Amino acid sequence: MSATEVPAVVVLVAGPVEVAVLREVRAGAEEEGVPTSVVAHDGPDQHADATALAHTGALRSPLDTGIGLDAAGGVAVHHATLPLDRPVRVLTPGADPAHLRLAGRTAARIVKVLPL
Amino acid sequence: MTERLVVGVDIGNSTTEACVAAVSGESVDYLGTALTHTTGVKGTPHNTDGAVAAVRRALRRAGRSEAEVETVLLNEATPVISGLAMETISETVITESTMIGHNPTTPGGVGLGVGTTVAIDALAGASGPTIAVVGPAWDFDDVAAEIDAAADRGLEVVAAVLAHDDAVLVVNRLRRSIPVVDEVGAVEKVPLGMRAAVEVAPPGRTIRTLSDSYGLASVFELDPDQTRQVSPVARALTGNRSAVVVRTPSGDVTDRRIPVGTLTLSGAGKSLQVDVDAGAEAIMEVLGRVQPLDDATGEPGTHVGGMLAQVRDTMTDVTGQPAAEIRIRDVLAVDTFVPKEVRGGLAGEVAPENAVALAAMVRTSRSRMQVVADEVAAALGCRAAIGGVEGEMAVRGALTTPGTAVPIAVLDLGGGSTDAALLDRDGVSSAVHVAGAGELVTKLIGSELALDDRDQAEAVKRHPLAKVEGFFHIRHEDGTVQFFTEPLPSHVFARVVTMTPEGPVPVATRHSVDHVRRVRREAKRKVFAVNAVRALRQVAPGGSLRMLDFVVLLGGSALDFEIPDLIADALAGFGVVCGIGNVHGSEGPRNAVASGLVDAYVTGPR
Repeated sequence: MSATEVPAVVVLVAGPVEVAVLREVRAGAEEEGVPTSVVAHDGPDQHADATALAHTGALRSPLDTGIGLDAAGGVAVHHATLPLDRPVRVLTPGADPAHLRLAGRTAARIVKVLPL
Repeated sequence: MTERLVVGVDIGNSTTEACVAAVSGESVDYLGTALTHTTGVKGTPHNTDGAVAAVRRALRRAGRSEAEVETVLLNEATPVISGLAMETISETVITESTMIGHNPTTPGGVGLGVGTTVAIDALAGASGPTIAVVGPAWDFDDVAAEIDAAADRGLEVVAAVLAHDDAVLVVNRLRRSIPVVDEVGAVEKVPLGMRAAVEVAPPGRTIRTLSDSYGLASVFELDPDQTRQVSPVARALTGNRSAVVVRTPSGDVTDRRIPVGTLTLSGAGKSLQVDVDAGAEAIMEVLGRVQPLDDATGEPGTHVGGMLAQVRDTMTDVTGQPAAEIRIRDVLAVDTFVPKEVRGGLAGEVAPENAVALAAMVRTSRSRMQVVADEVAAALGCRAAIGGVEGEMAVRGALTTPGTAVPIAVLDLGGGSTDAALLDRDGVSSAVHVAGAGELVTKLIGSELALDDRDQAEAVKRHPLAKVEGFFHIRHEDGTVQFFTEPLPSHVFARVVTMTPEGPVPVATRHSVDHVRRVRREAKRKVFAVNAVRALRQVAPGGSLRMLDFVVLLGGSALDFEIPDLIADALAGFGVVCGIGNVHGSEGPRNAVASGLVDAYVTGPR
């Protein structure tokens, strides 16, 4: 099942997320020219961490790439072909805007097959 | 018959090899070999530690004890010390901030915008075609809003220059797309109120107007003299996807030659001078006219003077010989280029500058190998002696390669020097050392690819390349694709890597596999293929390579995955049989000298 009609990196968000955080993460992907699609996490596990969310997002992305934003403020980037415990990038809560941008950029560069 | 344990030790520029043999009568049984780094400069007492370590390791491999050793044999090495230096001979300087050509990965918009540079917070007072200059404090949403608002007031904003990596974000938010160049670190240095042009090409294309002299002339309405002045700007921007050119009253990009100094080469009763900035070919041509070289000196107070003085100083420290007595006996000059940050650039622009690399070789009159032998004897409690001269021993060892016969020539591809030796039908041998070998190759690779550490350059030299194309597969440099069942680490994703025995290691470069491969092969060819011909000419009868029958490659670099092929290619036209040594039919190109020493000890002089 695909969460989006156009090819996009799925940003899976659990709970309330700061607008500024979401904005920077998406900007990182947009600057690289790769679309993102924000999806609210509706699964049974509302306490899923960013890595699990990112992996779920990746599985639902037509580009096999996902970003997870958890309720605590953590951010992770994942790819559908990777094992759950091997995320590509993980940011701890409270990351600065430059790192948030980097998370989005990383997801986009996985899609474009460019160095992360 | 009683068995005696004999160990041959070959102390080279970079490695020390030991070979343990059990000798009874005329029969020799090779029991084990070992390899360590040479300690200190070859031919000096510092070598003792490495020699002892190599002997002990070889004994351990052979399952023998130190007490059983009867004799350790060392090579009489011509102490050859090589010095390396590199000097750039061109320099690109941008004066008065005339251009930005750092080629950011994601510029925004497409097209050419020509107008006057205005700071974004001063757009309100601007008129006519305008280029907005945006500092680091601005957010992309605000930049887009400000430009749109200015456009609403009737201002024609034709392009923008940004400090941050925001070009695509800004363009996506504008009502009308304009070309935008971003990641300009020193945006505050962009001169304001000046006529400027911003060009961005579509993906996969390069700019057409700003990289062309007449394009610049048309944009800035230049006369023929001014056009001549800006033509270096056009050249500097060629191949970029984006660029900014600002027309300042006296701004310029100059491409100047730096005087490196003259090199004086004396030999064969002559003394000739050559300008180092004339390039490698000119230097090697002059060198050819003064063979054999007696000495080389550099003009005092110039780069080359300092370079050669440094080689002499090192040699003085090592041998205790006064600097005045030290003679440079060979020089190898190689043309290269060094990517250097452009002076006066606004965004960390890099331009490839021409450079000349020089390897110089010094030979001392005094070898202190006897001191090493005495110290080895003391450390191991056995007899130690100098068993023979390196070149002769190498030939002796090489002759044990299946399929060879006299006359035979060996090429020892070492770290500091490339050595050739010849054994003719009459049993007469001769040997030469020429400057430039593995160390120079590493240096060329490191500087041409702008790698900051030597280990990375060494890795590029030693291992084939690959591109990591996904989390589970890589494409080797020959095109083969390899799949992995375990995901590759993300730090190598999409990177150019060297395939080391420990796995793929990323190379810090933006260049493609093809480019890195070309640099690596050219460095090897410029040093080893050139030196192979140069060294063999000096030992070949009448200087003719056609007179050689068998050429055997020895030394660490003979184990390289492509150097033997490059040398074989270079020698193919001369009708010689060239291949990698296989000492005793099993040892490969290693241990020729060490086992040659044992053979010589057993059979006596040939």
